[in-house]
Amino acid sequence: MSPATPSAEPATPKASWWRVFRGHQGRNLWYIGFFLPFLVGLVTFVYIPMVWSTYLSFFDARNTIQPTRFVGLDNYRYLLNDQMFRNSLGVFVVFALLIVPLTYVCSLGLALLLQGAKWGQAFFRSVFFLPTAVSYVIAAMVWRLSLFNGARFGMANSILRQLGGENINWLGGTTWWYWPVVISLRLWLQVGFYMILLIAGLNRIPQDTYEAAALDGATGWRTLRYITLPQLRTSTVAVMMLLLIGAFQAFDEFYNLFGSIGSYPPYARPPLVHMYLISLGGTQQDLGLGGAATVIITTIIVLFGLGQNWLLGRSERKERG
Amino acid sequence: MVGGRSSRALQVLRYVALVILAILFLIPFYVIVRNAFSTNQTIVAARWQWIPKEWDFGVIPSMFEDKQLNLVNALVNSAVISVVQTVATIVLSLLAGYALARLDNWVGKLFSALTVFTLMVPMAVVFVPMFVMTAQFGWIDSYRGLIIPVMFSAFATFMFRATFATFPSELEEAALIDGANPFTAFWRIVVPNTLGIVAAVGTITFIGAWNAFLWPLLVTRSETTTVQLALSQYMTSQGVRYPELFAGGLVAIVPVVVVFLVLQRWLVQGVETSGIR
Amino acid sequence: MIGIMNLNRRHLLTAASGLAATATLAACGSNKGDLGGSTSATTGSTGSSGGAKPVLNQWYHEYGEPGVKEAVQKYAADYADASVKVTWNPGDYGKKLGSALLTKDAPDVFEVEQGGTLDMIQQGQIADLTDIVKPVESQFNPAVMKRFQFNGKYHSIPQVVDMQLLYYRKSVLEKAGVQPPKTFAELTAAANKVATGDMGGFFAGNDGGVGVLGTLFIWASGLDQFDEARTKATFTQQQFYDALTAYRDFSKTKGLLQSASKEWYDGSPIANGETAMQWGGLWSMPDIQKALGDDFGVLPFPAIGAKGRVAVPFGAFGACVNAKGKNVEAAKKFVSWLWIDQEDKQVEFADAFGTHIPSKTALVQKASKLKEGPGADAAKFVSENGFTNDIMWTGPLGDAFGAAVTNVIKKNADPAQEFKKVETLAAAELKRVKG
Repeated sequence: MSPATPSAEPATPKASWWRVFRGHQGRNLWYIGFFLPFLVGLVTFVYIPMVWSTYLSFFDARNTIQPTRFVGLDNYRYLLNDQMFRNSLGVFVVFALLIVPLTYVCSLGLALLLQGAKWGQAFFRSVFFLPTAVSYVIAAMVWRLSLFNGARFGMANSILRQLGGENINWLGGTTWWYWPVVISLRLWLQVGFYMILLIAGLNRIPQDTYEAAALDGATGWRTLRYITLPQLRTSTVAVMMLLLIGAFQAFDEFYNLFGSIGSYPPYARPPLVHMYLISLGGTQQDLGLGGAATVIITTIIVLFGLGQNWLLGRSERKERG
Repeated sequence: MVGGRSSRALQVLRYVALVILAILFLIPFYVIVRNAFSTNQTIVAARWQWIPKEWDFGVIPSMFEDKQLNLVNALVNSAVISVVQTVATIVLSLLAGYALARLDNWVGKLFSALTVFTLMVPMAVVFVPMFVMTAQFGWIDSYRGLIIPVMFSAFATFMFRATFATFPSELEEAALIDGANPFTAFWRIVVPNTLGIVAAVGTITFIGAWNAFLWPLLVTRSETTTVQLALSQYMTSQGVRYPELFAGGLVAIVPVVVVFLVLQRWLVQGVETSGIR
Repeated sequence: MIGIMNLNRRHLLTAASGLAATATLAACGSNKGDLGGSTSATTGSTGSSGGAKPVLNQWYHEYGEPGVKEAVQKYAADYADASVKVTWNPGDYGKKLGSALLTKDAPDVFEVEQGGTLDMIQQGQIADLTDIVKPVESQFNPAVMKRFQFNGKYHSIPQVVDMQLLYYRKSVLEKAGVQPPKTFAELTAAANKVATGDMGGFFAGNDGGVGVLGTLFIWASGLDQFDEARTKATFTQQQFYDALTAYRDFSKTKGLLQSASKEWYDGSPIANGETAMQWGGLWSMPDIQKALGDDFGVLPFPAIGAKGRVAVPFGAFGACVNAKGKNVEAAKKFVSWLWIDQEDKQVEFADAFGTHIPSKTALVQKASKLKEGPGADAAKFVSENGFTNDIMWTGPLGDAFGAAVTNVIKKNADPAQEFKKVETLAAAELKRVKG
C-alpha cells in the first residue's frame, strides 16, 4: 500500500487514487477510524482464535496448545469418519428444518393476532415478548425438571395420565419425544423477539393497500396471501437469515437439557455440542479434533449463508426483472 | 373493516386465542415461582400441583443469608459486568455500524464481510484459544476478562448498520458542509435520532450479558462469580436441590425482567425505526 | 460499584471466623496476585504478609454435602509451610480444570478423577509423585493403587474412594417374598414382582440406566475391557452381547422404572418410595438412611449369565500437582502432608459429610459409617468386586461404547454388528494413545 501523503500533487495518478480513497474532506479516513476499535476486537477475539484453531487442526494436540506432532489431515479424516460427528450433522439438519419454519409461522401468527386486536395490544405483546429475557440455563431447568420431566411429577406427564395416557420419558432418547421439548423451549424463548421484528414490518405496510384490497372484496386468507406476505418480503428475508444463523448456533438448549455434571448422552448432540465435548476437557481435550471441527462447521455455515444470500438475491432480481 | 357480525365473532375468537396463548407463555414463569416457594416434596409429589399444598417462603431469605454462596456479591458482579459490557458494546458498535453504512469503497466491503462472517461463526468454536489468550493477558478472574473478549458484537454492529443505512444523510451533509468533522456530525446529529435502536440493541446485549454462562464458567475463579454461576451450585454430582435451584432462578430473572419491562416500549419503537425489516 | 465490592469482600473474609488470621491475610495477598495474572508469582511470594511462604492455589470440584467446603478450607489454613488458597468449583469442573491447565493461571494442586487422564500424564501436565507415594503404597487400597499406577509411576495420591452399588428396600422385597438378587435373572424377577403403579422395581437413571450401567455389563458378564498388554478390546464376546440383550428385555418390562424425581446419583428416588431398588452412589447413603432407617440393604451389581460375576464400579479423586506450576516442590510437600500424613483429616473428609471410603485401608475401621451394616458391606465390595475403567479407556472410545450400548438397548440394534465398530476403534485408539 502506498504511504499516506496528503500533500502530494493532485496530478499524479497515485495521488488521485488517494484522493478518491480518503473521500471528500477525508471522510473515509474518519469512517475507517470509527471502525478500527471494533476491528481490533474482532481480529483479537475472533480471527486470531480461528486461525489458531485451524493451525491446531493439523496437529496431534491432546491437552496442549503447543503441539509438536504434525498429523496433516488426520483429524479431518477422523471426524468425517466418526459416526458421532456425522450423527451430529443429522441432528442439526432436523433441528433447523423444524425450528426455522416453525418460529417464522408462530411469530407471524402472533404478530397478525396482535395487529388486529383493538385493545390490550401492549399487554399481550409484553407477555409474548417477556420470555426473551430468560436465559437458556433457567428455561432448560424449567423444561427439564418440571414441565417435561420424565417422572410422574412432570407437568406434561401428569396431564397425560389424567387423559388416560402413560408417562413419557421425554428426554430419555429411546424415542423422538425429545424433539418437542427442544423445539418448544427455543420457540418460547425466541418467538417474541421475531414477533416484534415482524410487527415492525407489518406496521410499514401502508394502510391504503389493505383498504383497496377490501374494496376489491379480498378477505382473510386472500389478503394474507396476496397483500401481507408480499409486502412483508424484506422483513421475512431478514428474519429467515437471523433464524438460520441462530439454528446453526444450536448449543445452549441441548447442552442444558441433556447434559448432567460432566456427562452427555450419545444422542441429541448437535455439532457444536459434540465439538465442545471433545475439545474442552473433562474426559477428553483434543484440540486438534476441536480445530478440525471448527473449520468444518464454519465452512458449512458460511456456504449455507452464501447459498441463501445467492438464492434470495436471485429471486429478488427475478421479481424486479 | 366495518364491524359486521362475522367480524365481531372473529374479534372474540382472536381474544380467546390471545388469552390462551398468553397463559401458555406465562406458565413457565409461574412454574419458577411455584417451585421457588415450595418444598421439595411438593415439587416431586406423585401428582402435579398447580397450587402447592405446602408453601415454603424461607428459601430465598436463607439464600441471601448464606455466606458461602454470597448471592449479593454475585448480583453486584453480574450487574457491573452487564452494564459495562452493554455500554461498551453500544459505543463500539454504533461507531462501527455507522462506518459500515457510510463507507462505500472496497474497505467498507471488506469490513462488512469481516462483520458478517463473525456473525455466522458460533462463539463456542473459538472458546479454547480465546480463553488461552485471555489468560495470556492476565485477565482471569477479573472484570476485564469477563467483559472485553465478549464485547465486540457483530450482531449489534449489523443492527446499527441497517439503521444508519436508512437514515437520511442530508442532515449530516449540511453539518459537514458547515465545517463540522464527521465525528461531530455523527455524535450531534445521527446519534440523538437513533436512541430507539440503541435501546433495542442495549436491551438485547444486557440480557445476553446477564444470562451468560459458559464464558464466565471458564474465566471466573472466586472473586468474580456471577449470578448464573452461583445458581449452578445447587446442581452437584451428588444431586439437585429443587427449591433452591428455582429460587435462585427467580432471583436471577427478576432484575432482567424489570429492565426489560421498563425498556421494552423503546425497544419496539427502536426495531420499528431500524432498517431491519 | 467497585467500592461496594471491596467492602463486601472484606466483610466476607472477616466474617469467615473459621479461618485463622494468617490465612485471611494470605488470601488477600493472593487475590491481588490473581488479578495480575502473570505477576502473581512475585506478588505472591514477596508481597504477602506471610513472609517468604509460597502461595499455593488448590482446586476442588463442588461436593454436594454441606460442610465439605468449610472443612477443606480449614485443612488449607492448618498447613504451616505455605499459604494455601482453596477454590471451590461448581459447574463443569473437568472442563474448567482442563482449560485452566492450558494456561499459566492454573492451580498448583487439584483433584482429578482416577488420578489424572492418560493425556495429562503424557503431556506432562501433572507432576510425577512416585517418590512420595511409592514408599507408602502398601497403606492404600490395593485396587485403587493398581489403577493409579501407570508404567510403574504414580502421578496422584488417592483422596477418597467412591463407589456405586445397588440399594434395595428390605421390607418391600420381603413382602413380595423375594430374596435380594445375586444374579441378573433374580433382579429382573424381583423388580417385576414388586413393581406397582406407585412404586417402580429398579431404577438406574432417567436414561433408563444406559449411561451409568454401560461398562458394568462388561464386568458383570465376566469380561474385561482390554487384554493385559492393552492391545485390543476383549469384551466383544457373546456373553457380553447376551448381557446387553438381557437388559434390553428387562427395560421393556414394567420392572424398570424409566424415570424418577432425581438422577441415579441422588438417593431421593428410593428414599421417596419411588422405587424398590436403585442403582446409586455410596455418597447417598446418609440421605437414604435418614429416610428409610434400617429398611434398606446394599449389594453389588448382580452377575449376568453363566460366566458372570458380581461387580461394583469404584472411582477415586486423586490429588495432583501441576507440573508446570511455580512451586512444584512446595505443592508436593502440601499434598503429601494432607493426603498421606494427616490421617485425622482424611477420616473426617471421608466420613463426616457424605459417605466415602478412606483410601488408606487402615482408616476404614475409623470411619463411623463403615463400621457396621450397609456401610461395612459396601466397603468390602470395593476390595472384593471392584472394577474401574482402564486408563486407556479414552474419551472417544467411551463415547463410541456408550452410543453402541444405547443403540442396542434402546433401538434394538444387533450387538455383534454394533460392537464390531467399537472393536476396530478400540484397536486404533490403543495404538494412537501409545504414540
